[in-house]
Amino acid sequence: MRCGHDWTEAYDPKGVMTERSCPKCRSNSVRPLEEADAKKG
Amino acid sequence: MDAGRHPKINLMAFSEVEDVSGYVGNFKVTVRKKARYVDASLCNSCGECAKVCPATHPDEFQMGLSTRRAIHLPFPQAVPSAYLIDMETCLGTNPIACGKCEDVCEKKAIDYDMQDENVVLDVGAIVVATGIEPYDPTALDEYGYTRYPNVVTSMEFERLICAGGPTEGHLVRPGDHATPKRIGFIQCVGSRSLRDGAGYCSNFCCMNTVKDTLLIRDHYPDSECTVFYIDMRAFGKGFEELYDKSREAGVRYVRGIPGEVEEDPETGALRMMVENTTTQEMEEHEFDMIVLSVGARPQSGDKTVRRLLTLSSTADGFLMEAHPKLKPVDAPTKGVFIAGCAEAPKDVKDSVTQAGAAAARAGALLNAGKVTVESITASVDHDNCNACGLCAMVCPYGAITADKKTKTRATVVEAACAGCGNCAATCAFGAITMRHFTDGQIMSQVDAILEADHMEKVVVFACNWCSYAGGDTAGISRMQYPASNRLIRTMCSARVDESFVLRAFRKGAPVVLVSGCHFSDCHYIDANRQTVKRIYRLWKYLEKRGIRPERLQLEWISAAEGPKFQKTMQQMEDLRKTVTAEEVAETVEILQAEHEKKLAKAARKAAKKESAESGETLEV
Repeated sequence: MRCGHDWTEAYDPKGVMTERSCPKCRSNSVRPLEEADAKKG
Repeated sequence: MDAGRHPKINLMAFSEVEDVSGYVGNFKVTVRKKARYVDASLCNSCGECAKVCPATHPDEFQMGLSTRRAIHLPFPQAVPSAYLIDMETCLGTNPIACGKCEDVCEKKAIDYDMQDENVVLDVGAIVVATGIEPYDPTALDEYGYTRYPNVVTSMEFERLICAGGPTEGHLVRPGDHATPKRIGFIQCVGSRSLRDGAGYCSNFCCMNTVKDTLLIRDHYPDSECTVFYIDMRAFGKGFEELYDKSREAGVRYVRGIPGEVEEDPETGALRMMVENTTTQEMEEHEFDMIVLSVGARPQSGDKTVRRLLTLSSTADGFLMEAHPKLKPVDAPTKGVFIAGCAEAPKDVKDSVTQAGAAAARAGALLNAGKVTVESITASVDHDNCNACGLCAMVCPYGAITADKKTKTRATVVEAACAGCGNCAATCAFGAITMRHFTDGQIMSQVDAILEADHMEKVVVFACNWCSYAGGDTAGISRMQYPASNRLIRTMCSARVDESFVLRAFRKGAPVVLVSGCHFSDCHYIDANRQTVKRIYRLWKYLEKRGIRPERLQLEWISAAEGPKFQKTMQQMEDLRKTVTAEEVAETVEILQAEHEKKLAKAARKAAKKESAESGETLEV
């Protein structure tokens, strides 16, 4: 979000939570898009 | 054996921990003693029963290289030295299909009616020493394990050269029972490879192979041993000398891992190509037998242990200690200690050392007779608690008892509470207060930061153990970072209530940062996972109200990451400069309206409650 980079990665909201960071700038302020948001495009 | 004879050690073999409740000094452990169908106090291990037992099963102790009977001694030096019946292999006892063991047992130790028994123990401390599992290389098809009989694992090889093994120590290859002359060892099978197994080094495999090669050269001087390795790790007392001895004994060490093993179906010989990375030449090798030096895996049963004892694990699945350097045998849960490979793969010497340390730590705790509780603990105001049970659900230590169904209000066991504050941040009714880190204290800090020149400030919530310490590291390293970043210390990032962040924005903060430990470093087991959930909720909340969610940032900074701390602070400053006064004013207006709405709702609720209570009084 801070970095503005977008990338696609498998995300299971009910699965085991793992530490996430942007693969390009290592920012931890990354946000999963919810299915509904994704559908809205 | 010594433990079995010790008057103060009650060894419960063939048993499983079913449940653990309580806290340091007052644990209640429920152990299921599985039915052996043989009275261990009567059995004298004469073995007559096994001689007549007709049912056989691959012997687990001998890695399936020989068979055992349904009634068997688990392994030669088992404590207690008593037989047991494997009911899945036995022909049946209801009705009795065979009964030969009972017929021959002079001691009348066989009891087909024996049942599992639950034993509840009161204990003050617990040592977890659940060990490891060897890696199963079946998935690595290139080595042909299970396809080629003469490809064995190091565990199977151990049984083959052991005097107590299925061949009584005579080395034979499983394919044709011939004595192998050319033996190849492949190291790091299932270790040090994220693709094949796991990324970590399993610690003991190199020295185990060195020991095996010396044994072979000693017993079979005309044999040839070749070891294929990535690099030999022979650190530790006497290990380098043993490695040198092995090379002097004629064992060849080739730096390179073979790609594929092929079998000659007629002779059973195994061929492989390998790039010797020392000479940079391709080499072809042929062996009579190949030993795969398999790595270690965390025990699959550790998940249950972790759940029962509220422990956490590192990324590789082994149990996490309270502190890697200062508390290497303490678990994060007070009164629980870790020993041996349950914590990480290690050899016998290190396991014994760690077991001694864990026993000493437990002994010191028990001898003291009292424990010092944390000064920062949670306390519950029962008047405000509505027994929703959320606090109990999020507590990483299981220190809170509450039940929504029975309307049991939350109670904190202070001896078990570590003071992370996750419960206080979760409680929507303001019923939980953290001593020394109260909501009021933190809110006052937010207000003080933003009282003047709020546009020039970035509010940073930093966890005590990692992010705040990361700031210290940056400071003592003379790393400059913008003075606009104002830190508020909390014990854990999970203490950061959503209302703290919203208050900061309501008071005009352009940017708020929540920072904590990396997932694997969380000092409160896994409390920082709740931080992530809260931040997700907050981002959604802000976005819904037209506030840029980017203004709330989340960052994991460890105590050693001074440069990351500095970089993040600079990034926060850069972000702050993008926020305009108009944007902040609009945010303040939106959140103030929301806040007033919330206050009005709370007032209505309180008035309703009050009138209901006064109504009841009148009726009485």
